[in-house]
Amino acid sequence: MYQSQSVIRKHYNNINDWLDQMTSKVILEKNAEAETHFRNIGITFSTNNETARERIIPFDLIPRIFTYTEWLKLERGVIQRAKALNAFLADIYNQGEIIKANIIPKEIIYKKKSFEPSMIGFSPPRDIYSPIIGIDLVRTGPNDYFVLEDNCRTPSGVSYMLENREIMMRMFPDLFHNNRVTPIDDYPTRLLQTLMSLAPIKCENSEPVCVLLTPGPLNSAYYEHSFLSDQMGIEMVESTDLFVEGKYLYMKTVDGPKRVDVVYRRIDDDFLDPLCFNPQSVIGIPGIMDVYRTGGVNICSAPGAGIADDKAIYIYVPEMIKFYLGEQPILDNVETWNCEKEQELKYVLDNINELVVKEVDGSGGYGMLIGPKSSKSSIDEFKTKLSTNPKGYIAQPLLDLSFSPTLIKNQVEGRRVDLRPFCLIGEQAQLSSGGLTRVAMNEGSFVVNSSQGGGVKDTWVLAE
Amino acid sequence: MLSRTAEYLYWISRYMERAETTARLLDVGYRMSLFPNPSGYNNEWESVLSAAGAIEGYKNKYDTIEQRNVEDYLFFDESNPSSVYNCILNARNNALVVRTSFTPESWLAINKTYQEILNLKEKKFTKSDLPDLTEWTIEQVNLFRGSLSSLLRNDGYNFLFLGLFIERADNSARLLDVKYFVLLPKPQYVGGNIDNMQWSILLRSLSSFRAFRWAYDGNITATKIADFLVLNSNCPRSLSFCIQNIVKHLTNLTCSPEKVGRIYNNLKDLNTKIQEEKIETIVEYGLHQFVTQFIRKISSVDNEIHKEFFN
Repeated sequence: MYQSQSVIRKHYNNINDWLDQMTSKVILEKNAEAETHFRNIGITFSTNNETARERIIPFDLIPRIFTYTEWLKLERGVIQRAKALNAFLADIYNQGEIIKANIIPKEIIYKKKSFEPSMIGFSPPRDIYSPIIGIDLVRTGPNDYFVLEDNCRTPSGVSYMLENREIMMRMFPDLFHNNRVTPIDDYPTRLLQTLMSLAPIKCENSEPVCVLLTPGPLNSAYYEHSFLSDQMGIEMVESTDLFVEGKYLYMKTVDGPKRVDVVYRRIDDDFLDPLCFNPQSVIGIPGIMDVYRTGGVNICSAPGAGIADDKAIYIYVPEMIKFYLGEQPILDNVETWNCEKEQELKYVLDNINELVVKEVDGSGGYGMLIGPKSSKSSIDEFKTKLSTNPKGYIAQPLLDLSFSPTLIKNQVEGRRVDLRPFCLIGEQAQLSSGGLTRVAMNEGSFVVNSSQGGGVKDTWVLAE
Repeated sequence: MLSRTAEYLYWISRYMERAETTARLLDVGYRMSLFPNPSGYNNEWESVLSAAGAIEGYKNKYDTIEQRNVEDYLFFDESNPSSVYNCILNARNNALVVRTSFTPESWLAINKTYQEILNLKEKKFTKSDLPDLTEWTIEQVNLFRGSLSSLLRNDGYNFLFLGLFIERADNSARLLDVKYFVLLPKPQYVGGNIDNMQWSILLRSLSSFRAFRWAYDGNITATKIADFLVLNSNCPRSLSFCIQNIVKHLTNLTCSPEKVGRIYNNLKDLNTKIQEEKIETIVEYGLHQFVTQFIRKISSVDNEIHKEFFN
């Protein structure tokens, strides 16, 4: 929000005036109103204990604002990246040109668990493997954006993006009269169009039948599943609602079986088809992979798409962009040391006090070490881990994430933020005009994950 | 519509209806406990438990029947599947799954109820809070029912109401079954204190106390009450009203006419009988047998609905 210590950036002026007008009483009331609203609509984390109170993510009232020009760069950069990631998937499951060109070593790809051998030689509709990509971005300076990670499987958080906006419009309508905020509420429609544009070859419906496949109410993103299927007007199914007969996939309805064309799955590869993947899985649909490979149904995202967001593959995304698209990357990667390589491991071990070390397969802000903020004992612990299993880790410098004004106990204070916009690729590639801003609510914290005390904000993109 | 969705909708309204029934029964028990009788105070708690179908469960947990324990068992107890708390919890968990099949208002109605009962459960309540709790429950269920009026009149709507009326038919019939002897004509003077009290229990628990007065002129008689609760299709809790609505929502279903036909055939005779029969004949033949048969029939219709639509 601030240009320097005391100068407010122009597009935040309205917000600053608005903040000045609000008394602490109003802030308290509005915070309570938001919390009640989120509880009532049920945008909560479920916990395993059914009767325990569900948790809600802290919501900060001050929106984060991007100007039109700022956003334009992000938009081009994210779409570019999403296209390259899809081209990469199409390549490695077919010709493997990028390997032949010695850009990515083949071991990195073929030995990964997230690489799916059953996908070799198969091309999904339009060659789109990952139609919904969430890219996590951080900012370190006025024009310095870095990609922290790509999410090519089933990125979540878009329901927060939409609900945060809804609650802001409801509580502060005047803000939206005075600021030209680009609407985002057409996201579900665009998502549905994207899914419909990815119908399988054997689809006979002029409007393909899409469903959202959820693992069920105990999943922490369950609210999002029901929210999205509701907004799209498609059935939210669990795997027991689906079955394979002949070369097609059907759902069980009160009218009898109904054919399904596109499955927007929000379950992991492992749980898709017990015949093909994990035979222990009780939540799969036996035979669905067979239907998929013979063009009877499309599964979005494609099984095996997860290889593209592997932390070891991440390092190569800028190379991918050059290789597949012949373009210069618009968004930069964070400098990353791959501990698998001996030299880089040595560097990491020598400089561990300055670095952030992450597990290759970790997520949610767990299993990581923030060198400058860690005790000697945990650093030593990580050193041992690194030496015994170097390929399980990568390291990055500690980025000075941008701050965003945040209400803490009725005072405006700076807190670190990141951003996850959502990119859709089907017939066309497009970016949501906004995203999920996550904020580290604890003073000095770098971790924005909701599982570790992170909160969320409404994210505005101002119209031109 | 997904079979599972239909099933969940059906059960949501069953649970909500059951929550109301349990609350009404508690209300009746509470009221009775305020009236004196020769040996102290009236104790209707045992029959309240029977009517709620909870007597066995209660006796497994407690040795004696005491107001405080009955209240807790019927309202908050997590081990009693029909406690108001469990009904609301189950309705809410089902609603969570099928919230896309009804309006945001219906979801809000259920979810708010759930949030509030969690708060209520955390508070210590005293004996005299019971009327507030039962009133609150009835209010919440009405809120939910009201929210249904904004639904699309599609199969989901009909499954919701099928569930509601199957549950209500069952609840009304069970209550009659527990209290049927009150409605048998007696040779001696009718209208004594005890009878009045018992009748009022019956009517109140079916939320029909005042409605009855408006529906029938003259003296209160056992036969009139029996007629009201069994055959009067103006009374929204009578067996007749429930059957008519089951038939209505069943035949309104647009999915699978064959399935609808099969279930309807099973129900047809009971429906005709209840529309044409005179209460005198039923009482003569045996009210108890009639009600028992009715309960069995409803349960078989419920089974068929599950078999035909939800599998």
